[in-house]
Amino acid sequence: MSAPNSLRISHVGLRGIVGSGLHAAHVLDFAAAFGTFLETAGAVVIGRDPRASGVMIREGVVAALLACGRDVVDLGVVSTPVIQHNIGRLEAAGGISIGASHNAAEWNALKFFGRDGTYLSTAEAGELLDIYHLRKFQFAPYDRLGSSRLLEDAVDWYLDRLAEVYDFAALRGVRVLADCTNGTSSLLLRRISERFGMDIHLINAAMEGVEFAHPPSTTAKMVALQLAPLVTLVGAAAGFLFDVDSDRVAIATEQGEAVSEEMVLPLLADHVLPRSEGKLVITNLSSTALLEEVASGHGARVLRVPVGRQAAMDALASYRPEQIALAGEGTGAVMLPQFRFVYDGIASMLEVLTMMRERGQRLSEIVRSYPRYSMLKAEVPLESTLVPDLLMELRQAYSDGTANIADGLRIDWPGRWFHIRVSQTEPIVRVICEQKGEPPQKLFDDVLDHVRRMA
Amino acid sequence: MIPREHKLKIGVSGIRGEVGEFLTPSLACGFAQAFGTYVGAGRVVVGRDTRASGEMIQHAVCCGLLAAGCEVIDVGILPTPTIQVYVGSAGCRGGIAITASHNPPEYNALKLFNRHGLFFNHYERGELLDLYHQSDFQHATNAQIRRIASDMETPRRLHCERVLQFVDVERIRNKRFRVALDGVNGAGSLLSVEFLRDRLGCDLRAMSVDPSRPFPREAEPRPDTLGDLSELVRREGCDVGFGQDPDGDRLAIADETGRVIDNDDVLALVVDGVLRRLPGDVVVNLTTSSVIDDVASAHGRRVYRTPVGEANVVESMRAVKAAIGGEGSNGGIIFPAVQYCRDSYTGMAFILDRMAAAGEPFSVIAGRLPRYWRIAGRMDFEHGRLGMLMQSIEEALQAPAVDRSDGLKLIWPDGWIHVRASNTEPLLRMAVEAASEARLRQLQDRLRQFWGQ
Repeated sequence: MSAPNSLRISHVGLRGIVGSGLHAAHVLDFAAAFGTFLETAGAVVIGRDPRASGVMIREGVVAALLACGRDVVDLGVVSTPVIQHNIGRLEAAGGISIGASHNAAEWNALKFFGRDGTYLSTAEAGELLDIYHLRKFQFAPYDRLGSSRLLEDAVDWYLDRLAEVYDFAALRGVRVLADCTNGTSSLLLRRISERFGMDIHLINAAMEGVEFAHPPSTTAKMVALQLAPLVTLVGAAAGFLFDVDSDRVAIATEQGEAVSEEMVLPLLADHVLPRSEGKLVITNLSSTALLEEVASGHGARVLRVPVGRQAAMDALASYRPEQIALAGEGTGAVMLPQFRFVYDGIASMLEVLTMMRERGQRLSEIVRSYPRYSMLKAEVPLESTLVPDLLMELRQAYSDGTANIADGLRIDWPGRWFHIRVSQTEPIVRVICEQKGEPPQKLFDDVLDHVRRMA
Repeated sequence: MIPREHKLKIGVSGIRGEVGEFLTPSLACGFAQAFGTYVGAGRVVVGRDTRASGEMIQHAVCCGLLAAGCEVIDVGILPTPTIQVYVGSAGCRGGIAITASHNPPEYNALKLFNRHGLFFNHYERGELLDLYHQSDFQHATNAQIRRIASDMETPRRLHCERVLQFVDVERIRNKRFRVALDGVNGAGSLLSVEFLRDRLGCDLRAMSVDPSRPFPREAEPRPDTLGDLSELVRREGCDVGFGQDPDGDRLAIADETGRVIDNDDVLALVVDGVLRRLPGDVVVNLTTSSVIDDVASAHGRRVYRTPVGEANVVESMRAVKAAIGGEGSNGGIIFPAVQYCRDSYTGMAFILDRMAAAGEPFSVIAGRLPRYWRIAGRMDFEHGRLGMLMQSIEEALQAPAVDRSDGLKLIWPDGWIHVRASNTEPLLRMAVEAASEARLRQLQDRLRQFWGQ
C-alpha cells in the first residue's frame, strides 16, 4: 500500500501511517468529535502502546478532550484490555486506545470505547463519524475545561480481574516462553511473574517506539520464525506470541511447533464450552470450520458474521450476554465469556495454560487431538468495479454448494469451503479455501483462475 | 458603527483568543505545528501561566510541536521572562509561552520566541503566518517523532541568578525590607515568593500567590486594579508593594503609603538604577514619559524612541546596544543583561537595590523624579477615518516637532500629544503629557475638539 493513501477513517476509528497519512489535525478533530459524542458524565480513560508517535497523538487527544470539558485519566503505556477494564472501574464515560496493534511501527490508530469498556456499536460509531465530518464540536467555556491525571495502578487492577477467573497459583510450576514483539505484553507478563510467581520467560521484551524485532503479526509463520525454535531450548511447556497491544496471541507447542493461528479459537472453545452456560460461538466467515466440529461436540452453535471487529460487536450486542460462550477471529483475537467486552491475548494465554493443567496433557498432545483441517489463502489485486461480476460468476460456477453472501461470497460443501471477499483497506480480493484433511489445492486453483481471468 | 466581536486574532503577533468557541485546540495545535516547522526539528521550550485553559492549550501545543518533529522541553508554570531567559541559554530552536499576559481570564494566547529567547522580528512573524496559512507543515514520521522532556528547576535558578548579579544582594538582605506582593495568582506567584523572601531576605507579606486559584482582580496591574495591594501595604506597614500581571512580565509598585505610582515613574527609577551601574543608552516607546529623558540626561545618556510594542523596543535596543529600555505606559522593563524581554524581577531587584543604597522611604526616592502631568485615554473610531483625523490634528495644532513613526506625536518644549491606533483592538489610543497641570488641561482641550466633546 502506498504511503499517501494510508489514512483510514471508518466505524472502527482512525488509522494511518503517522506523518504521511495520519496527522495531528485528524487526531484533534476525531478526539473532539468523541468528546462531543459522549453523553454520559464521567472522565475518558486513555492509554497507548509504545510507538514513538503515541506521545504526539496522546497530546492531541488530551487537548481535545479537555477542551470538550472532559477529565482525562491517562494510564500511560498499557495494553488495550487494561484500558477497557479500567473504564468500568472508574465509571468513565468512555475510553480511547492509542496504538496500531498488529500493524507495523510507522502506523498508529485510535480505538474508541463506550461505557463499561465496550467497543462502539455500528450505530454509535456512525454518529461519531458524522460529528467528525461535520466538525461541529461542543467546546466547553474556559472555566469548565477538563483536567488530566495519571493513574498508576491500572495494570494491577486488571490483573486482579484476571486473578478472579484464573488460578495463578496453580500455574506457577509451568514454564512459559513469550514473544512480546516489543509491545505492552512485556509489562503485563513481568508483573504477573512478580505478583503471582509464574515462570514466564520473555523475548523481545524491551518496549520499543521505532523498530520492532519483527512484524507484530500473530501468524503461525511468525511463530515458526521467531518463537518456536526457542521453546525447546528454554524447556517451556508452551510459547505465546503477542501483538503490540496484547489483544491477539499465537501459540507454539512445547515441541517447538508453531500452531496455526486458526487453532486458537477452536482450542479455547473446546475448553470454555463445557463450562459456559452460553452455547453460541461468534466468529467470521473466514475462520476455520474446525470450530463447528468442536462446537457441535458440546451442543453449541457457531454464528458466522462478516469479517471485521465491528460485525462481531454488533452480533454480540444482539444476544443476551449469557447466551454467548465466546467470540473471536482466526487471527488469534478471542473474547472469553468472563470478559465479553474485550479481545485479550493474555486472558487467552491463561485459558490455554489452564486447559493444559486441567487435562494433564502437553500442549502438543492437545493440539494433535483435533482432526486436521488445511487452509490455503491468497490475495489478488482487482478493481472494485469488477467485484460484483466476479462474485456472480463464482456463484453460478459453484451452484452445487451452499452460498452465503453476507460478506463477499462463501460457498460450503461438506468438509470443504471457500470464501472470497474484498479487503476493507486495499483494492484486493482475498481468497480463503479450507478442507478437512489434505489441502484443497484443486478447488483453490480453480477459484483463483476465475479471479485472475477477471483481473 | 457595527459592533464586532474580536474574540480570535491570528496575525503577525501570533494567535490570541477567547477559549471555547474561538481559540480551539485545533488552532493552537496547528499554529504550534507551523512554529515547529518554521524553527526546525530541534528542542522547543514550552511553558505557561496559570490560566484555567493553560493545561488544555499546552497539550495542543505539544501535539503540534511533536508532529513537526520537535522535542518538547516542558518547563511548567513560569513567568514569561523566566521562559525567555531559559530559551536563550538552553541551546533550543525556540520557545512558546502559553499566556494571554494581562488579558482577561477567558483569553489565552501563544507568545513565540526564537532560539535567543526573543520575540520574532516583523519579517519572521510574517513568514510564520504565511506558513500557517499555507498549512504547509512538517509531518514527522514515527521514527522522527521525539519525546517530551521536562526541566522544572533550571529556568527559575537561571533567571534569579541573572537578575541578582547586577544588584548588591547582601545590602538588600541586611535591610530586611518588609515587602507586600500581589501575584494575581499568576505564573510568577511561586517564583516571586522565592525571589523576594529567600533570595533577597525580605519580610514578605504576600497575597494572591496560589497558582491553582483564578485571578482575583483584573489582570493588568494598574493603580485602579491594585487597591488590595495598597491596603496590604498600609495594614502591614510595608516599605514597598509589588503588583505583577499573570505572566510576570509587567510590574506596578505601591509606595509605603500605599499609593500606586505611575508606571512611567517605575521605569524611570529602574532606568536610573541601571544607569548608575552600567554604561549604555536608553530605548523607550513614543508614549513613554519625558521623565526618562531627564533621568538619562542626568547620566549623560541618550534616549531613543520607537513605535509602541515590545518587539519594536527590543529591536532598537539591540541596534544601539542599549543598557536599559522599556515601555513606561504598560509597566514593561527590558534589561538586556538579563534578557531582551519585559521582566518584573529586574524591576523589583533594582528598586530594592536603590532603596537599600539610598536609605530613604520609597516615596521620597520616587518624589525626587521630575514631575509631569499625564493622561491616557482611548476612543472607538471608524476604520478609514484615521488618516484624515491624524492630518487634521497635525494641521490644527501646529507643533514645533512631529514624529509620524507610530500614529502621530506632536511635541512642544513643555508637553506632547500622542495619538495612535491600537494594534489589537479597533481603538484609538491617546496620551498627553505636560510639565504643568495647566498645560495638560490646555493640550487636552485642544485635542478634545476633534471628538466634538
